[in-house]
Amino acid sequence: MIDPARLRPTNRMHDADPMPTAPTLDHRRFALANAGVWVAYGVLNGLLFMVFAGPTTGMAAIAVLLAIGGYLVTTALRRIAQAGGWLDAGTWALAWRLALAVLVGAAIVQVIVAGGLLLMRDSGLVRFPGDGRGDFRPVAMLGYWLNTVFLLGVWCVLWLGARATRRGRRAELARLHLLAERHALELDALRARLNPHFVFNALNNLRALINEDTERARELVTRLSNTLRHALEHHASDVVTLGEELAVVEDYLAVEAVHYEDRLQVRWDIAPAARSLRLPPMLVQLLVENAIKHGIGRTPGGGVLQIGARVGAGALVVEVDNPGTLDATLQPRDAGGAPGGVGLAYLRARLASDPRHAFALVADCGRVRATMTIAQEPGA
Amino acid sequence: MSLRTLLVDDTRLARAELRTLLAAHPDIEVVGEADDVAPAIAAIESLRPALVLLDIQMPGGTGFDVLDGLAHAPLVVFSTAYDQHAVRAFEANALDYLVKPVAPDRLAAALARVRERIATTGGEGAASTTASATPLGAHDQVFLRDGERCWFVQLAEVSRIVVDGNYARVWFRGTSVLLTRSLAALEARLDAAMFFRANRNTLVNLRHVQAIDLSVGDGYDLTLKDGATVEVSRRQARELRERLAL
Repeated sequence: MIDPARLRPTNRMHDADPMPTAPTLDHRRFALANAGVWVAYGVLNGLLFMVFAGPTTGMAAIAVLLAIGGYLVTTALRRIAQAGGWLDAGTWALAWRLALAVLVGAAIVQVIVAGGLLLMRDSGLVRFPGDGRGDFRPVAMLGYWLNTVFLLGVWCVLWLGARATRRGRRAELARLHLLAERHALELDALRARLNPHFVFNALNNLRALINEDTERARELVTRLSNTLRHALEHHASDVVTLGEELAVVEDYLAVEAVHYEDRLQVRWDIAPAARSLRLPPMLVQLLVENAIKHGIGRTPGGGVLQIGARVGAGALVVEVDNPGTLDATLQPRDAGGAPGGVGLAYLRARLASDPRHAFALVADCGRVRATMTIAQEPGA
Repeated sequence: MSLRTLLVDDTRLARAELRTLLAAHPDIEVVGEADDVAPAIAAIESLRPALVLLDIQMPGGTGFDVLDGLAHAPLVVFSTAYDQHAVRAFEANALDYLVKPVAPDRLAAALARVRERIATTGGEGAASTTASATPLGAHDQVFLRDGERCWFVQLAEVSRIVVDGNYARVWFRGTSVLLTRSLAALEARLDAAMFFRANRNTLVNLRHVQAIDLSVGDGYDLTLKDGATVEVSRRQARELRERLAL
């Protein structure tokens, strides 16, 4: 039985992608970290200025304005980079865009700093060391700008590095989720194939048959062994031929025939050309098991199980037809049998890998018919 | 004393296997077989077995459906190939359950419990072969089911039965279960010497009455062993006095 909670990590994986679903949280976290960086930078700068140029209001203003300018420009830079999809572009495309952004950004920072300083100086709020008017010559401005270019360059490297680290951690987490989910599904599939009800009933029948008909008892041991061996084998291949799949089904039905006796009549209608066509393993087996568990097994007196296969237009068409109702097929048994919905969910999941595959379950006049269409690769 | 036993399993080979295993127990007399819910109910009603070996999953329903269809339950040992769910539901209440393939010593142990149960209930109880018109005695057991939980309850354990809408609520062992039958229908099946109609809504098991107090008017208040109190109407008070020879 598949626990629905196990399927949830799939959804969580989408949450792990920061861009589309959790942007506000990401923006807030970034804003906080970035503000921390620039406050620290401002404080450090202020201390250095005080030590090397003496404590003046002008130098303090430079430190503060540089930090504010840096914060505003880097915040804008990140927004623009994200909105423009720079991070999804190639390494060089990202590099030259960032370089250009750093050059322009540094200029904007200097405009903010110089503008603010000139305003404050002319209104007498601050004084610079030396003549008190500060150095605003073009050559000095060029030096300040180059300094800021270097500063923003370092910021970009740190930003991209932190981002890559976080991305990597999330990818690793998502990979582990996926792995855990796949293991859970494999375990469910194994458990379903080793259906204990089937196994213990077969063994019980075997006990009775040993007294009644030793030849049939020996045959039952062979058929049951084949079925169990096949269930335990790991399916390395992703596809089998219909012929291979039907060999498994025949063994399984031979075991069930001992259990149901004349309540189970199997009619085969397999087109010879269909036997070499390919399909994912265990799907026909799953349909036949369902037909017996929810159809034959729940119909007093049993009935006819029809298994048909033919070649459609570029596809293999398999039909399994049994007495019963859709309700019985889809509802769990009230006395705790495995619900029928799980096997069909697994089948639908397998078929979802190719949009040309199809599956239909139709009830009509006390019978249920499952039709599975498996598109064939043209080259195969 | 031979134990009349019915085998219920939808698979012929499973029934054959049970017969083979039961051959080792000469006191077990297999009186019949049934392969589905409806035939099992019919066979129990007509053959009146003391013991039923009952499969849980059958084409027409479950072993519980068989018991639901009976006026009173015979002694039952369940059998199942693999049914954790049902096994859980019955661990506390069923006489026993067996898993298939049945191990001979497990079957012997289950049968020993059956014999012990019959000995303690005086060989009467579930082994009764009386017609359905005869009221059920103190040691007769009924099968009660509330969703997933099931109980076999001897009538001696039932303290009272109270009207609940169109149905009746049975109180036993400090818990209760709703039965989809009317109080009047239940009363007709019960022994009048044991169950007393205290008022319009309530049947009381007189063996569970702990104290009787006078109440307003000419009635009484009964206090039961489980602490519940039941009012006896004035009309029924005279009846109660006669019954208890007060």
